[in-house]
Amino acid sequence: MRLNPRMLLVHPVHEVLRQLPLVIGSLVFGSATGNPWWVVLALVLTVTIGVLRWFTTGYRIAPDEIQLRSGLLQRKVLSLPRNRIRSVSTDARLLHRLLGLTVLRVGTGQEAAGNNEFALDAVAAEQVPRLRSVLLADSLNAPEQDSKPGRVLARWHPDWLRYSPLSLTGLAMVLATVGVAYQVGAAGALRDSRLAQSGLDLAQRYGAAATAASAAIVVLAASVSLSVLRSLVSYGNLLLRRDAELLHLEHGLLRVRENTFDMRRLRGGTLREALLVRAFGGARLDAVMTGVNGVGESSLLLPPCPVATAQTVLADLIGHPDAASGPLRGHGPAATRRRWARALLIPATLAPVGVVVGAPLWAWAVWAGMTVGCALLAFDRSRSLGHRVSGGWLVARSGSLERRRDCISGAGIIGWTVRQSWPQRRAGLATLIAATAAGIKRYQVIDVPAELAWSIAADASPWVAHNRWAQD
Amino acid sequence: MLILIQLVWIAVDPRGMWLHAAAAGMTVLGIVAFVVIAPLWRYRVHRWEISLTSGPPAVYTRTGWITQERRIVPISRVQTVDTYRGPLDRLFGLANVTVTTASSAGAVRIEALDSDVADRVVAQLTHIGAIGAQDAT
Repeated sequence: MRLNPRMLLVHPVHEVLRQLPLVIGSLVFGSATGNPWWVVLALVLTVTIGVLRWFTTGYRIAPDEIQLRSGLLQRKVLSLPRNRIRSVSTDARLLHRLLGLTVLRVGTGQEAAGNNEFALDAVAAEQVPRLRSVLLADSLNAPEQDSKPGRVLARWHPDWLRYSPLSLTGLAMVLATVGVAYQVGAAGALRDSRLAQSGLDLAQRYGAAATAASAAIVVLAASVSLSVLRSLVSYGNLLLRRDAELLHLEHGLLRVRENTFDMRRLRGGTLREALLVRAFGGARLDAVMTGVNGVGESSLLLPPCPVATAQTVLADLIGHPDAASGPLRGHGPAATRRRWARALLIPATLAPVGVVVGAPLWAWAVWAGMTVGCALLAFDRSRSLGHRVSGGWLVARSGSLERRRDCISGAGIIGWTVRQSWPQRRAGLATLIAATAAGIKRYQVIDVPAELAWSIAADASPWVAHNRWAQD
Repeated sequence: MLILIQLVWIAVDPRGMWLHAAAAGMTVLGIVAFVVIAPLWRYRVHRWEISLTSGPPAVYTRTGWITQERRIVPISRVQTVDTYRGPLDRLFGLANVTVTTASSAGAVRIEALDSDVADRVVAQLTHIGAIGAQDAT
């Protein structure tokens, strides 16, 4: 079966966008050699490849498997048994939406990436509910059967934009643009242009420091606005909805993404609070699910949003409010000492080096600043450390720059490891690691007192309690 | 290889003998640590057990020397049991058994078992593991 014919319009455009560096490169090349036909050639080639993709892609839904045939030069057939289908997610970019199309991705609960992903690019948007019920008919009770719409857990609010400049994405985007400009050769042209000349004149008039400061402010403003824009475009209209056994997440202004998670695969959640985001009272929520990559966008449930929202949603998902936001047990003075020792290690090693080398006064000022920073880091880290086991859920919190609170279901924990490095042995501490098949696969409870380690494991997983090895 | 690098270095740049002596000393220390001390220490630390009597059947190992780890995995979650014999292992009649689970952090390795003990362990694990019909995730 062929994909929607309207893709004949979409594929060329997307192909050109994908090959944009090549097209720009041919533009530069063409202007350098004075031959305009290079650009035309590049464009024609890209458009042809885009169109050919439509002709060479086909899919088939058979009674026991689904197949996707694709590839221009190398023919590839990807087939998936229908009883392995676990999720169907959709994704519609701007051009797709204008033409009423959606990209349909079928997930098997195994992390597939790149070429091994079963993606139908694209089908008509009206066909999506039908396809979804057909594909999921074998695995779940078909979701369209329950006509009650389920419960909305969280909805996007413009407030959430408050947290977006607090990450580094804006700065990264600015740096990336600069990098691309250099690659394409535009930087050379810019350097000789009049803008640069006027900039140099300004610098001479107002002094280097003022110019540098204003340049920094410009870069900061640009990166802030870029982050806010990006957050708005990616997460605007976010809706997290829970039907009986399904978790439905859709978000995006221009590119609308829709993801359905099977709640039976949920093994917990992680609240992640980066330092700046935490200072403004925000947090993000990741799902700990089998078959979903633990890091990155695929397990994201809520982007940085008010911490109360994230905690409420987590409590709703795992059915245990105490685990999401309740108090935690500290790890004692030995753990606190260890956090301080680790944080102050770098300043402590730099100090004798500075004395031996005879560093100037400004270097010592920098060192003092760094020491204060490390002390604050140690204080925050030792405050964050904590754990709790209640109702079959293991909660572990640690970290300062990127603080995380992992709530893991005891039923999802496959094995336990108690790890002691030599300094930990001397301090009477241990790190307890719970191995799961979900999320990032290993969840650490850092620096618990060694005699408590196995009892924590026994509380979370009853089978450990009966085992005599867990008592040594 | 480290010794080779150091010899080449001495040949190329023979000034500063004290630096070379220091490097040579550290290499010797390193060799002593890894060839003499580490194996003895590891041997005293390493343990393994398949516990059948108390509670659900589980595999337990204790490994490491400077950093020590104790790992316990119930046999109901075991997915595969592998045996590996490298050329040195075959020379000494040894085998390494790896028990994997659905979690990449939950793999249990029992190293350097006698070959027949390894075979017995594998048979025992697969026999117990075959009873039970869960998904093991």
